Amino acid sequence: MNLKEKIEKYLMDVQKPSRYIGGEVGSIVKDKNSVDVSFAFCFPDTYDIGMSHIGMKILYSLKNARENFRCERCYAPDVDFEKIMRENDIPLYSLESLEPVRDFDFIGFTMQYELSYTNVLNMLDLAGIPIFAKDRTAELTQIVVAGGPCVCNPEPLADFFDIFILGEGEEVNLELMDLFNEMKKQGASRLEFLRKAAQIEGIYVPQFYNFDYKEDGTIEKMTVSENAPEKITKRIIKDFDNVFYPENFVVPFTEIVHDRVSVEVLRGCIRGCRFCQAGFIYRPFREKSPDTIYKETKCLCENTGYDEVSLASLSTSDHSQIDEMLTKLIDYTAGERINLSLPSLRVDNFTEELLEKIKKVRKSGLTFAAEGGTQRLRDVINKNVTEEEIMSTCKIAFEGGYSSVKLYFMMGLPTETDEDIVGIAELAQRILDLYYSIENRPKGRSPQISVSCATFVPKPFTPFQFEPQDTREEIERKQKLLLDSVKSKKIKVSYHDADVSRLEAVLAKGDRRLCNVVYTAWKMGCKFDSWSEHFKFDVWLEAFEKCGVDPAYYANRRAEYDEILPWDHLDYMVSKEFFIRENKTAHNAVTTPHCRQKCSGCGVNKAVGRECFC
Amino acid sequence: MLRLRATFKKTGRAKYISHLDLNRCMLRIFRRSKLPVWYTEGFNPHPYYSFALALSLGFESDCEIMDFNITDDNMPLSVIKDRLNEVMPEGMGIVDIAPQKNKITVIAKAEYEFDLKADDVQGVYDAVEKLLAADEILIEKKTKKGIKTVDLKPDTEIVSLEKTEGAVHMVMRLPAGTRTNYNPTLFVEALRKSCEIPFEMANIRRTGILCENNEKFS
Repeated sequence: MNLKEKIEKYLMDVQKPSRYIGGEVGSIVKDKNSVDVSFAFCFPDTYDIGMSHIGMKILYSLKNARENFRCERCYAPDVDFEKIMRENDIPLYSLESLEPVRDFDFIGFTMQYELSYTNVLNMLDLAGIPIFAKDRTAELTQIVVAGGPCVCNPEPLADFFDIFILGEGEEVNLELMDLFNEMKKQGASRLEFLRKAAQIEGIYVPQFYNFDYKEDGTIEKMTVSENAPEKITKRIIKDFDNVFYPENFVVPFTEIVHDRVSVEVLRGCIRGCRFCQAGFIYRPFREKSPDTIYKETKCLCENTGYDEVSLASLSTSDHSQIDEMLTKLIDYTAGERINLSLPSLRVDNFTEELLEKIKKVRKSGLTFAAEGGTQRLRDVINKNVTEEEIMSTCKIAFEGGYSSVKLYFMMGLPTETDEDIVGIAELAQRILDLYYSIENRPKGRSPQISVSCATFVPKPFTPFQFEPQDTREEIERKQKLLLDSVKSKKIKVSYHDADVSRLEAVLAKGDRRLCNVVYTAWKMGCKFDSWSEHFKFDVWLEAFEKCGVDPAYYANRRAEYDEILPWDHLDYMVSKEFFIRENKTAHNAVTTPHCRQKCSGCGVNKAVGRECFC
Repeated sequence: MLRLRATFKKTGRAKYISHLDLNRCMLRIFRRSKLPVWYTEGFNPHPYYSFALALSLGFESDCEIMDFNITDDNMPLSVIKDRLNEVMPEGMGIVDIAPQKNKITVIAKAEYEFDLKADDVQGVYDAVEKLLAADEILIEKKTKKGIKTVDLKPDTEIVSLEKTEGAVHMVMRLPAGTRTNYNPTLFVEALRKSCEIPFEMANIRRTGILCENNEKFS
């Protein structure tokens, strides 16, 4: 029985079988004998989630556009199918050729969130690939690589990967595969390949770096071997308007989380919110021209048949030609009966004209990320939004027929006091009062203010990378305080599980000593940690205990400015001096203007060799 | 406006597309084809198309029926067929397109073929014969009002029953359409109750959507 027959034998026993058999429109199937290098692109979560990821769509098409490369997709099977796979010796396989992942030259994972780490181990295990890099063959095959935002501090995964790819992947992935092709032909070994790969900009080979620790647990020193660089600098695309973008997406049969065309309109962010990792690691700010955005939208809609488009960016309204872009897009989408959705719109530059245009295309809820309950706290985190701006935007929205508003906040931010927590409830109440004060408010509908409260997670490469996270007890006390401060039934409060955020903090700021914890937790049954029904925090705590690692050391300790941080050898083009400066400014509750107003000297322009805005 | 009826196939990997997903899939097929398909005129206009009979997940078929309208009266049917086929997923394809003739309510039955794979083919064959010879074939069927016991016997037409290599091959007709719908898995469930020999139902395929007089519905 071949693998396809074996899979099909059990497919009718699992939920949503079309996730496991491929054959979707837009998938690219190549003859394995006609290519030189194969890459299994793995997403460490289920199909429904992984298929929504835009970065995977870009790199999948990019690699397959090269005639001699083959890239196939692979996702984590859901628990029902995993059980069947394990019972019947079905190895993890790719969806295009239904070929075992272990037979690929590269096995690449995209690391989008910390709580997917155990899924990587589980997938390697299902694939029959040794989990630890040191246990893999000396031959040049099965190179396990990772990219994505989490690899800006990949240390908790360092023992499992051969290579981390830092920064944007469009060029470096091809360079890496070309090098592989060349060295494979020469009969090189795995080690010889890794040595050479480490010389490519943006390539980090963790086994060439060794760490010694002080008695207090902090890093004493890092030693580099095999001539690898002391600092590894992330890759960026200089000419963003002309960067490769797919002409087609794989169109799934089953519904996925983001089941639509997404077009990337800009990369990076000018804002510099001090808690936001994405705002720093994707710098410098670059945009696509309205013309490029329009062309890519049209091409993708025609090829996929989707009737919905979403614009992807960290802050779409910061596009310098937002009006021209939206006018062009709305003209096209309205004519073709396509829905255009615009996530990531900021409060402060939300003009009446823009709202008018948006109203034409959607009538769903309005979402504002206020993040802090008081102006003082918003200044601390550099969320340059004032209450007047929030109020004036809500006023426009209410007068325009909106009756529900969703507000995002964070809890446990540096310098936060009870006043800031109560401030969240008060701000929501003032928005509700504003609604009732408007004469031409929507009639016959009850207003709803949804307050969604996340727990602050300190992240590497942010000014808050030095900050401790609130303890669980403190977070729970604040959550209760917030609930008690809300006086209206029209204000609905929801918040995140404090344990989840705690594990995120540990893994985000962790060092190599956590590899063993991740491994132990997985061995003890942890996987799909980002799914509340699968998250087992007690098992994680047991794993920490077994490994003799204290999670509080990583989550709740303030790091010194002169301490060697686990990610200090990785260069994301924003300097540590800048983060220290910003951290001090934060503690003085002083804001920093955004990049268009004034350059605050983060260092990215020096690294790139040009001004960000001329 | 052309009121059309397409016969299409859903085979190979496409058999894992659920009926709900088929709906979404067809919408995208129409959009990719750029055919002047007629849109509904309601609050949320969408291309109009309608499937005659839902096909169970995991069943193959080359006789599925879908109605839709084309606003261009002069468009040749062969062009419509070709343009749809160009943008269909693997395993799906238009077999035929013709003007709508009968009303959907004329559909009375459907024909299915399947294999009962077993090591002991003769044993399973005997058990099938025995079940067919019984006075009644009682099964429990889930309906909107709860579980109901029904007798399949009067409505089951056996077209063929034969032994092949490693399997019993059956072709049967069962009521289908707007009134009663029986799935061949109901018959197989009844068989499982009366047959102790292990077997596996495989290669299920709908081979016809029929009128009361066994003529192909069109």
